[in-house]
Amino acid sequence: MTATAGQRGIGATTARETAKRLADAASLNATLSWSEELLDAEGARVDGMNKPGPLAGIPIALKDNIVTVEQPTTCGSRILEGYVSPYNATVVERLRAAGALIAAKTNLDEFAMGSSTEHSAFGRVKNPLDPSRVPGGSSGGSAALVAAGVVPVALGSETGGSVRQPASFCGVVGVKPSYGRVSRYGLVAFGSSLDCISVFGRTVDDAAPVLSTISGPDALDATTVARPPLGLPKALPNLAGMTFGLPKEYFPPDLDAGVAAALRRTTEMIKQLGGSVREVSLPNSVYAVPTYYIIAPAEAAANLARYDGVRYGQRRVGPEGDIRALYRTTRGEGFGEEVRRRILVGTYVLSAGYYDAYYRKAQRVRALIAEDFRRVFQDVDLLLTPTTPTPAFKAGEKTEDPVAMYLADVFVCSMSLAGLPALSLPVGRSNGLPIGAQIVAPYFEEERMLSAARILEQNTDALAEVR
Amino acid sequence: MSIGLEDVLHVAKLAELAVRESELSRLVDQMNRIVDYVATLDQVPADGTAQGFVAGPDAVVLREDVEAAVPLAFPPSAMAPEFAQGFFLVPRHGAMEDQ
Repeated sequence: MTATAGQRGIGATTARETAKRLADAASLNATLSWSEELLDAEGARVDGMNKPGPLAGIPIALKDNIVTVEQPTTCGSRILEGYVSPYNATVVERLRAAGALIAAKTNLDEFAMGSSTEHSAFGRVKNPLDPSRVPGGSSGGSAALVAAGVVPVALGSETGGSVRQPASFCGVVGVKPSYGRVSRYGLVAFGSSLDCISVFGRTVDDAAPVLSTISGPDALDATTVARPPLGLPKALPNLAGMTFGLPKEYFPPDLDAGVAAALRRTTEMIKQLGGSVREVSLPNSVYAVPTYYIIAPAEAAANLARYDGVRYGQRRVGPEGDIRALYRTTRGEGFGEEVRRRILVGTYVLSAGYYDAYYRKAQRVRALIAEDFRRVFQDVDLLLTPTTPTPAFKAGEKTEDPVAMYLADVFVCSMSLAGLPALSLPVGRSNGLPIGAQIVAPYFEEERMLSAARILEQNTDALAEVR
Repeated sequence: MSIGLEDVLHVAKLAELAVRESELSRLVDQMNRIVDYVATLDQVPADGTAQGFVAGPDAVVLREDVEAAVPLAFPPSAMAPEFAQGFFLVPRHGAMEDQ
């Protein structure tokens, strides 16, 4: 008999207990919608299933850019306040069929644009480990709920590191699959060549069965690849025969001392477990952030054109009373500052006269970044890097300078540009704040990545202070 | 490359986005900061011979040109105030300009 996720210890629980935990965690501002009535209905639905699935009774929270029929989907934006989708995302249907309880919709940076979850129209999310600090973003609500022990697993979405970075800041596991591995049908589009639904878990064993459940081809999403759903990670006895590449560009001299110490400890653990490490180079990764901040806003400007007060969006009639004024007023008042800024940048880099200088150039650099990864994976099995250059920063510390905020994603967005699988694993604490190590795998080698992360996790005291 | 007030207003018009006068100066500063930053890509010797990007090793699969059924939780008639004979009813073209 196959062990269910509950039997593996993910944390099957009652709907009532989940409701209590959600209520107790209200001060984090991590949720945008949940109710006892819906949780009771979810519990009754699962209890009534003839064959409880592999996730029976597991409460799972969803980032509020994944559409659901039962709850509103706001994307953290006033422009979508009260919007209810007429269909469930494919991942929601798969989770429900596997017996999971859809527990809550979680707070996020508006339309997933941000690195701190301070850009939600519904207020910032607090880091459960230090409420004066950010949980990371844009999937900060999902990360905070897992870190606070409210749910064992949550879904987020990645466009440029929006699951791995908050996982690192909150001390939980965050797994981004290969581009095309998980259906995006029902994920509100931000950057279509980058977006990936991704998973938070307390541990690798929490996250892996959920990723397995939601992966696999989907006739409703033409970008899913024709590969079978992911298996679960192997229980490796050691890391013998496995080589980890340490890209030197991800270990700069000014790396935070606590982060550097945690990564040194992880490197030593790899060796103790029989693995080997080798310095490698990804020279074009230094251009990942500027490349990302051309491509992602350009795609966002196109994707968010639909929120015009006619097709989608809370309608506002402009002072002139014509249709163009309606569009402009709806969008000007409905979108928050960061979204407006990105739409303007995206429109600028796509506009006549600047397209070649910015967008076309960025696409070429993106190909060079991906080629760097292809080259190093000829010599190593996995890559190890810090997930973030520092532990979680203080709320408000970077909101005035958009570029400073963008640089919080400096180690994570190159993998998004290349479409590679990557995860963040908690590997220690510095002054009480969690530090994440990032493991990156070649395309569609998630099982290798998760298996290695699992044995490292089992041999690392992630709560220990590092020096 | 410097972005001025007129550039921001022009782009806002292209993007169908109303911008408040009170935020214009700050937007000009922030857009200049962002565009100066992303212009660091000028340092990369990526000429026109570079390959375009394709995510992953799998070739793009062409699928059969068939319409997939999308199960909706509620019918289209529930999505708008007025719906008749399979159509959403909207104001007469030009009616808003007449008001």
